[in-house]
Amino acid sequence: MPVTIVVPQLGESVVEGTVGKWLKKEGDPIAKDEPIVEIITDKINIELPAPSAGTLGRITIPEGTVAQVGQELGQILAQGESMPQGGAKQAAPKPAPSQPDPRPAAPSPSPAPERAGTAVAERMNGEEQRVSPAVRKLLREHNLDVARIRGSGMGGRVTREDVLSHIEGSRVAASAPSAPPSGQAPGRAPAPQAAPQPLKPIPGPSFGQTGSREEEVVQATNVRKKIAENMLRARHMAAHCSTWDEVDMTALVALRARLKEKVKATYGVNVTYMPFIVKAVVRALHEYPMLNASMTESGEIHYKKYYNIGIAVHRDSGLIVPVLHDADRKTLLQVAQEIEDLGSRARADKLQLNDIQGGTFTITNAGMFGATASTPIINYPESGVLGVHLIQERPVVRDHRIVIRNMMTLVVSFDHRLVDGTPAVQFLHRVKELLEDPESWLLDSI
Amino acid sequence: MIPPIAAYDLGRIPYREALEFQRRAVSARASAASTDAIYFAEHEPVLTVGRAGSASSLRANPALLAARGVEIIPVERGGDMTYHGPGQIIAYPILELSGLPSGRDLHRYLRDLEEVLIGTLDGYGIRAGRRAPHTGVWVGDRKVAAIGVAVRRWITLHGFALNVDPDLSHFDWIHPCGLRDLGVTSMRSLLGTAPPRAEVQARLREAFARIWGRPVVEMPGRPHLEELHA
Repeated sequence: MPVTIVVPQLGESVVEGTVGKWLKKEGDPIAKDEPIVEIITDKINIELPAPSAGTLGRITIPEGTVAQVGQELGQILAQGESMPQGGAKQAAPKPAPSQPDPRPAAPSPSPAPERAGTAVAERMNGEEQRVSPAVRKLLREHNLDVARIRGSGMGGRVTREDVLSHIEGSRVAASAPSAPPSGQAPGRAPAPQAAPQPLKPIPGPSFGQTGSREEEVVQATNVRKKIAENMLRARHMAAHCSTWDEVDMTALVALRARLKEKVKATYGVNVTYMPFIVKAVVRALHEYPMLNASMTESGEIHYKKYYNIGIAVHRDSGLIVPVLHDADRKTLLQVAQEIEDLGSRARADKLQLNDIQGGTFTITNAGMFGATASTPIINYPESGVLGVHLIQERPVVRDHRIVIRNMMTLVVSFDHRLVDGTPAVQFLHRVKELLEDPESWLLDSI
Repeated sequence: MIPPIAAYDLGRIPYREALEFQRRAVSARASAASTDAIYFAEHEPVLTVGRAGSASSLRANPALLAARGVEIIPVERGGDMTYHGPGQIIAYPILELSGLPSGRDLHRYLRDLEEVLIGTLDGYGIRAGRRAPHTGVWVGDRKVAAIGVAVRRWITLHGFALNVDPDLSHFDWIHPCGLRDLGVTSMRSLLGTAPPRAEVQARLREAFARIWGRPVVEMPGRPHLEELHA
C-alpha cells in the first residue's frame, strides 16, 4: 500500500497551508524523514519529512495550492510498488469550501494526475494551467509569457524562482551599459557611493618569515579559537596567583589499590584518584567559600551554595571542561561513575550544553601526562582551580629518617581579587590533610 | 531539570555564511549533537526573498544594488522580500519546537517571537504591537522588526530582524515584506539614540527566557558545530 503524505497538525490556529515547493519529483527515491515538501503558513515555511522510505509515487497537490490540515499531499511507494490505477481519483483533493479556487481559467480544479504519463501529457498541452497561482500572478504583473521562461520545476514547469531570475536577468541586461566597467580605477568611477579607501597596514609583530623559511599556516579551529578566547579572558579578568604543596598520597594509593578490583567487578566502575580528590575538594570548599565564588565586574561576590566541579579533559581537538554537578550530594561511587561518563562523552564529542556549564570550581589533572607541577589558569569566572599531578615515589623525611612515600604536588591558582593568600594556602592545606588521611572522612561522606 | 537554551553572538558575518551556519546547526540539533540555541548576528546589506516572495517587491535598480555588492538571496523561510544590514540585531533560534511550552504550533511560535520583541521594546518605553495579518512587530504604521521562519525536521531556523539602528534609507530598495503602504522604523528613530547592541541582546535573552520558561545562557565565542557534528 502506498503511504499517504498528509498535511500534519501544525498548530491550534493552523487549518491550512500553501504547498510552497516540492523538494522531490515524482519518481525520486526518498529516505524516511527526508524533507520532501514545503508548506507555508503565515511567515513560517515548514519542510515536511517523509513518513516512510520509498519513491515519490504521486504529487496530489501542486505547488502554490492551498491544502487543509489532514489533506493528502502525495503518496510514497514502497520498493517494487506502483501507483494503483483506480484508487487515485478518490484521493484527489476537493477544493476547500473556505478557499475559492484561485484559478478561474482552469477548466477543472486540478485533478490529481493518475499516472506519471498522464501528468506529462497534460503539461505539454496546457502549459499555462500548470503554473501555480502565485506564478501566474507574477507573470501577469510583469506581462510575461510563460513560454519564454525556462522552467526548472517538476517536468520543466516554471516556478516562482524561475520568473524571479528571468526578471532579474532582463533588468541586469537592460541596465548593464550604465554599470561602471570592471577594471576601472575605483577612485575615478562615478560610483553611486564613495569607493572604500584601502586600509593602511598597521605595523605589528611579525608572525613569521613566510616565504623565506618553511612554515605551515593553518586556520585555527573554532574550538581552538574558543579556548584562546576563554584563556585570555581569564588572564585579563582575574588576578592570577598560585601556591603549592606536597601531598603524601601513600594512604590513598593503598586504599585505591584495595578497592579497585572489587569496585570494578561489582559496579563496573574504574576507581581513579579523581573521585577522592573531588570529594576532598568539596569538603575544603565548604570551609573556604571564597574559592567557590565568583566576582562580577560591578563588584558583587556570588558565593555558590552548590558544588559543581569542572574536570578538565584533554581531547585531540582541544581542552574541554565537563562539569560534575552537585558533587557534594553524590556518593564517591556516583562521582566515580559520572567522571568516567563525562570523560568518555567529552572525548566522543557527545557532551550536552548542561554538561559544560554551571561550574563553580575546576580541577585539572596535568599528571595524566607526566607533569609534576603546573600553574593552571582559572576557569573564569570561577575563583580557583586545583592542579593535580603525577604521583611518584620520592624520598621524604619522616621522624628524622629518609623514607620512600607516594608524593604528589598540589597547586591551587586563585583569583587574588577575592581570595587572599592566607585562605588560599589554608584551603590547599585542608585538601592536603583530607587526601593524606582519607579514612578519617570517607566514613561520614555522602 | 529544565534544559537551558544557549545564546551565542556570531557578530557581523556575511549573510550566506550565517545561512550555511544555520543549516549545519539544524543538522547538529537534529542529531542531538547540539542543544537548543539562539544565534544573534548582524549582516552587511543584503536582500533576502522568502518563499512568498515576488520580484515586484524590489524597487531599486538591481544593477545599482549589484554595484554596491548587495545580493538578492532566495531562502527557505516564509515571507516576502526583506532587507538586512548593519544596525539590526538578527536572532536565529535553532530549536526543537516540541521543547517549547506551545509545542509544535507554528503560529504560536510566531506569536512568541513577536512577544519577545514587544516585551523587549516595552523595556525601552516603546509601545510596539502586532498588526494582523502582517506578522512582525509594529509601532503605529511602521515596522520595527521583521519575522520569517522555516522549520525543518520540527526544528526552527531563520527568525527575526530587529531594527536597532539601521540605515533606514536602505529599506527604500524594497517594499518590505511586499507591503506598499506601510513604513519602517528603528529603535534609534523612536528613542533619539540607539541603545547598545549588547544591552538589547541581553534583554532579548531575558524575554526569551521569560516567554519560554527556560534559562537562556549566554555562551562565549562561537559554537564549534563542525566538531560537534564530527
